[in-house]
Amino acid sequence: MQRDARKATNTAPQASRRGPGRARAPKSLASYLDLIRGDPAEFRTVSRTVNPLNFDVTGLLGVLNQRREYPTVQFNKPLDLHGKPSKFPLVTNLWATRERCAEAIGLARSEAGARLGSLLCERIDRKLKPVVVGSKAAPVQENVLTGKKADLFIFPAVRHFEMDLGAVLTMGMIAKPPGEDFYNITFVKAFPEAAQRAGLTVHTLHMSRILREFEGRKARCPVAYVLGHHPAFWLGTLNNTPWGDNEYATCGGFLQEPVRLAPSVTWGKDFLVPADAEIVIEGEIDPGERTVVNPFGDITTQYQAQQLGPVMEVKAITYRNGALFQDVFSGHREHMLLGSIPREGTIFNHLRNKLGNVLGVHMPYSGCARYTAYVSIRKTEEGQAKTAGLQALAHVPNLYAVVVVDQDIDPFDEEQVLWAVNFQVESRRDITIIENMRAPNDPRALGSARVIIDATRPTHIAFPTRLKVPQPAMDRVKLGEWLDPVKGGAR
Amino acid sequence: MTGMRLWWSTCPKCLKAFVVAWELRHAKRKLICPFCDHRYLPEQSAAVDERHAD
Repeated sequence: MQRDARKATNTAPQASRRGPGRARAPKSLASYLDLIRGDPAEFRTVSRTVNPLNFDVTGLLGVLNQRREYPTVQFNKPLDLHGKPSKFPLVTNLWATRERCAEAIGLARSEAGARLGSLLCERIDRKLKPVVVGSKAAPVQENVLTGKKADLFIFPAVRHFEMDLGAVLTMGMIAKPPGEDFYNITFVKAFPEAAQRAGLTVHTLHMSRILREFEGRKARCPVAYVLGHHPAFWLGTLNNTPWGDNEYATCGGFLQEPVRLAPSVTWGKDFLVPADAEIVIEGEIDPGERTVVNPFGDITTQYQAQQLGPVMEVKAITYRNGALFQDVFSGHREHMLLGSIPREGTIFNHLRNKLGNVLGVHMPYSGCARYTAYVSIRKTEEGQAKTAGLQALAHVPNLYAVVVVDQDIDPFDEEQVLWAVNFQVESRRDITIIENMRAPNDPRALGSARVIIDATRPTHIAFPTRLKVPQPAMDRVKLGEWLDPVKGGAR
Repeated sequence: MTGMRLWWSTCPKCLKAFVVAWELRHAKRKLICPFCDHRYLPEQSAAVDERHAD
């Protein structure tokens, strides 16, 4: 199944469009929003005119964030980069709760806890071969702009933070290596600098490798930049899958239905684009050309430095009728969860397969949900914590720190984890620094060392234990019966 | 020391500072001030901060 899914595609019967008595419409961003639209805790709309370039969008999201409210927000009247009303409503903050991430892939909200990452990773092995449909069956090609009409400034692109270079497209780019038949899909920031030209920042190993291979051949790299799809499609792109995996097939496993693909407007069947996306920008990356990109407020909640990045030249823009423009509120909950949940599952599965004693993995917000992992293990002898830390660091190269705790510490409870660090760590013995372990993207300018903290209880020496109220005593308490009623209301 | 080296450039026009990767320190490429969109060469910075970890 997996091997088949890596190869190309099937030509399948055209999926039916939504209508009485017909098959269910393929999953899309709009179909997902229909699921949460009625719940104000999950979905809100803004119908006043907003200027995303003037921080109206992130201003509202910032206020909600301060209130610890994380709804998806749809701005119905954003201005575009020309300063005119955009034809595309803007949707953002889609993945800002674990519960919505669970629901997006068909799990119950009750499954949004510690096992969510692992459940998510099970989908990696359920690849579904994508199917190819004709352009007429591809909603994303209901409208096609080419030449000068293919204008990046028609979008309500968001400028997120005060030091950002400008408006940024924050969604995903699709490419495939020269001569190969598998697609990689990666979140890539695109800075529109002219109507048909955008600078890019690429941070993943596989997409960087694809661009290098095209550059080595002095060939232009075709890419499709996708602005909006069902959230499960995107969650399928974020896993640590091996080179050669067709990520369209992985996304199908997350969607629980094959991704429908259509021949691109620019390259036809040689490059397939997701038929049920909201908007697709077809472009080419010129080998060797670089432009200035950044600063940009990114996942570490710091600014990425101004640097040089590759350039995408726009060939065509296609979009469905009523298309939504999707954005990620970078450096905040949705950006963090978008990456952390798949990585939690990746680390958990890797440690389970290698060591067998892992109980839970959490990537906390304090580490921006990318750079620190709390790992709980069932320890039976000294050395196991360090081994678990080494395995985690080797498997997920962006990690800066791994803290390993015992089974009685909940890795999702940071207070418990830091208690273990305070009272079970002997600094000279239990903190291991590993030099020269460079992450592919290290924005800190602090160096390349990584750290493993063994915060498990020492077993080789006589050592105190945590205090504990006897569980049977707690079990027999019935609060409503034991506590006297409050007279005259709460005091 | 293989972490990304950074420096800060102060825009000669608006005098606000922003963070830049070391690859642009001597690349003869114009920087773009994110605050006022002024384009200038690194040596035209009103001030630079090149301190870095040893």
